[in-house]
Amino acid sequence: MQKVITINLNGNAYQLDEQGYEVLRAYLADAEAQLSGNPDASEIIRDLEQSIAEKCLRLLGPGKTVVTPAEITQILREIGPVETTGNGSHPTPSAAAPAPKRVYQIREGAMVSGVANGFAAYFNIDPTIVRVAFVVAAVVEMTEYDRPPVLAIGLYLLLVFLVPYAKTSEERAAAQGASAGLPYKLQNAVEKVKAKFDGLHHKAH
Amino acid sequence: MTTSLIQEKFASIRKGLLEFLILKIIASDKVYVADMLRRLSTTEFATQEGTLYPLLSKMRREGAVDYEWQESDAGPPRKYYKLTARGKSQLDELTDYWAYINQTLDNLGLGQG
Repeated sequence: MQKVITINLNGNAYQLDEQGYEVLRAYLADAEAQLSGNPDASEIIRDLEQSIAEKCLRLLGPGKTVVTPAEITQILREIGPVETTGNGSHPTPSAAAPAPKRVYQIREGAMVSGVANGFAAYFNIDPTIVRVAFVVAAVVEMTEYDRPPVLAIGLYLLLVFLVPYAKTSEERAAAQGASAGLPYKLQNAVEKVKAKFDGLHHKAH
Repeated sequence: MTTSLIQEKFASIRKGLLEFLILKIIASDKVYVADMLRRLSTTEFATQEGTLYPLLSKMRREGAVDYEWQESDAGPPRKYYKLTARGKSQLDELTDYWAYINQTLDNLGLGQG
């Protein structure tokens, strides 16, 4: 025995068994996902529902009241997946997006290893500002916490260790990057630091 | 006659031409979606509702086409599409450009580039 579900497509009632209902539900959910952000999404869904309804209607008659899963699958194959053309309201960003900007150590003009230089290039500021910030952090640490600047110098050494060198010209270009893309090298570095920190933390206990 | 070579080299061109073809179809007649699908089904540009509905809604948003509801003999009322003035001028512009591209293709390789 199969459970029958009655659905409403654009004001008309149709009967599907559970499996067919699941197929239709999945199709419409996918269509809605494809159309997210489209100002006409609900109208397009209505159009699709009406089209599905008309095709169901053709299959039903006096002796047949339930649309089978095979039939609904066939109908949805005819209609095809919802595809948006891309140049409309549904932009496909990846194609035209410039290469993401990344953090690198830049040897050229470096004072120590090129960390400050790299971050300066990334944020498009004077490397001196980054260096001064490091020194200030170290001084604050010494005066406020009355200890050697282990955190400031430790952080610097960690960055020397984690941030890659810009070796190729592409990498140097990415370090200067024209776009404000995802700084995922930085994110990587932060995650690595976190992982190490967690590791230390666990060991301490 | 769609070989895998054509599929590979011309897939995006065929996709991109769809809007132009829809303008042409709507210009020739007052049609609803099933008519458009039928006309395209025997061509290289056969497509499906899942592609056509989002495209038509975009064209309507851009002011190229408009529709009106019309009763049908069988079943619920249908959306019949027609071109707006802007749609007509788009079609003219695209048609001219298409002829120009064809001319370029014909002439290339004949020595005068």
